[in-house]
Amino acid sequence: MNRDALSALTKAELLEQARAAGVRGRSKMRKEELVDALASDDSPVDHIPVDEPGPMLSLPGVSPEDRAEARARRAILTDRLAGLVDQDRKCRWRSIEGHGCGLPTVRESDACALHTDKRRYDAAVPITGRLGLDTWPTLFRHLHLATYDIDPIGLDPVVHEMAWHVLNGLYYDYFRVEVEGIEHIPEDGAGMIVANHGGAALPYDGAMLSLAVLNEAPRPRRVRISATEIFNMLPWVSHLYRKVGAVYASHEDARYLLEHGSLLGVFPEGEAGFMKPVWQAYHVQRFGRGGFVQLAERTGVPIIPVAIVGAEEVHPAVTVSKRLAQLVRFVFPQQRVEEIAVFLNPVPLPVKWRIRFLPPVMPENPGTEPDPLRMLERSEDIRRSVQGALDALLASRGTAFS
Amino acid sequence: MRRILVTGAATRTGGRLIQNLERSPDTEVFAVDDLDPVERFSSHFERLNIDHLRFARYLLDVKPHTVVHLQTVDRSAIHGATRAHEETTVGAQALFGAIGRCVTVKHVLVKSDGAVYGAGPRSPSVLTVDSKPTRSSGRYQRDLEQMETFVRDMAARHDHVDYTILRLAPVFGPTIRNPLSAYLTLPGVPTLLGFDPRLQLLSERDALDVFLHAVEHPVPGTFNVAGHGQLYLSRILRLGRRVPQPLPKRAFHAALRGLARSGIPLPKHTIAMLKHGRVMDTSGMEETLGFSPILNCRQTAMVAYGRVTGEINW
Repeated sequence: MNRDALSALTKAELLEQARAAGVRGRSKMRKEELVDALASDDSPVDHIPVDEPGPMLSLPGVSPEDRAEARARRAILTDRLAGLVDQDRKCRWRSIEGHGCGLPTVRESDACALHTDKRRYDAAVPITGRLGLDTWPTLFRHLHLATYDIDPIGLDPVVHEMAWHVLNGLYYDYFRVEVEGIEHIPEDGAGMIVANHGGAALPYDGAMLSLAVLNEAPRPRRVRISATEIFNMLPWVSHLYRKVGAVYASHEDARYLLEHGSLLGVFPEGEAGFMKPVWQAYHVQRFGRGGFVQLAERTGVPIIPVAIVGAEEVHPAVTVSKRLAQLVRFVFPQQRVEEIAVFLNPVPLPVKWRIRFLPPVMPENPGTEPDPLRMLERSEDIRRSVQGALDALLASRGTAFS
Repeated sequence: MRRILVTGAATRTGGRLIQNLERSPDTEVFAVDDLDPVERFSSHFERLNIDHLRFARYLLDVKPHTVVHLQTVDRSAIHGATRAHEETTVGAQALFGAIGRCVTVKHVLVKSDGAVYGAGPRSPSVLTVDSKPTRSSGRYQRDLEQMETFVRDMAARHDHVDYTILRLAPVFGPTIRNPLSAYLTLPGVPTLLGFDPRLQLLSERDALDVFLHAVEHPVPGTFNVAGHGQLYLSRILRLGRRVPQPLPKRAFHAALRGLARSGIPLPKHTIAMLKHGRVMDTSGMEETLGFSPILNCRQTAMVAYGRVTGEINW
């Protein structure tokens, strides 16, 4: 249709056409812009005005270039999702009470990601195959009808995907996570991802690490982040952390997952890393007793060290208070908090994140019990490699926000 | 002619098990309980307290080949806590002592419960038969642990007898009336605010079938028995179109006390499970015992709530 014919139409009709053509950002366009967009020969996906405000408010650290890059990265991800999910064929699954499924099918199968028989919980096949919060009504329907089964640890694929849609905003637009060395993540089979810990308020690093593997790895996989028992005691957290795919950090659970071929995310620093004052940021603490090395040896899985720059500056802690922890214990006697980090910003800072995956460390004698000293030595080696990668990343960046 | 002694014949599962065993050829069933049976069966029924020595003498008279011990259910609501405790532990001591002396017994089949693992913030997410039980103040859990120890000690001391312990997930079905199923079928179900436990269910049909299977195929060992899959409590209630009533801790416990007064006494181990959940690893049941439940957890809930109309393809 030419420009004159388009100009004669009403805005509602133009919007209708723009929707059919898949013009991005059409809801915010004026009438003339809609005419321009529809009349131009460019492919509709590329037709995005560069100065269009992104989904986030304008932030001091986030530049228009960052927003453009975030859009480009989302477009790449959308293409990859289209390679995994066939939007034209719908799943024919029907529950025993007669509810249909209607989700798009996974390529090379007859069912959607929720109802394929060979579904593996660590292989994250997107359910709707699209990005954005407009997928929530469909997801809510399946959550409400409970048409699928959950994982024994408690992973609910629908809640996981809902969380993924929300956290993508943080991942692409706010923290602008940059990922290196994603090829070290195995495409198949078990592995243990060992990273430095930070955050002081919320475990952002666990979320961003899982999203990095979901969004960038050649084959999207779920990282099962392990969490302390405090997560089991807190209301709401106690079930939500399981539903989004985290696990309770006990030897049994970790072993169960590794033996079932999952990727386990571990922060061996534990609370010592999480509750660091800001001047100690990126000083990787001791990796506990090295229990993760023992587990990797027993189950014979590779350890993939990861350096995460960003998490430790999101909530810069000015002090770490024992008295505050005493107060919390007084109010909630069940909690076992020793220290509480005090930070001044309720909103996380828009720090630019960098995640570097390091080459996997293979087990020395798979299936055996390592001797205690060797365990400590190997955990110290891994700690040092993470520290080295952190130092390199910190030296190469400009400010924390760019 | 093989002789099977069944304790706990007054329970619904026990009664149905006896009905099914009666039908198989060359089988003589002896039923024992200290309550009146709910189900009707034609086998010889003896009303005995299993923790009394008269019961041990009766067992030595009967000379059974197989003993099915089902009288391990939590009867603290009927008998009171002390009496129930004695029945489970002293009863087990008498029963397994008598079995040790009775050389005709080849196989003991014991009904235990997932409650033996307890439930707490530090218990593993998937419990295997080797998992260490969570320490708890619940009496029933400790009684079960002790009962299982009696079984193992007896089997270690006497070569003539093998044992199978089945740790059952909560049994749920349209006709069964245990406290948990009464709780789950309330129109408005009080739940603990902010907690959504993972649960496993076993349909009443499968609960019966697993015992029949284990009587016919005596595989020694301890096995977890549950339907395939697992469900969050919120989804169970959603499947049954029940409205959850999330209450803070104190109000929740007050509501449970109210339920207990109106005839639905939830035992301590169930209340702990309603906070922290319990999921057992059932790979042993399928691979070693060779039993596969017909209904998974989701279907169990649908059937129990009467949401599936028409003939169920068993």
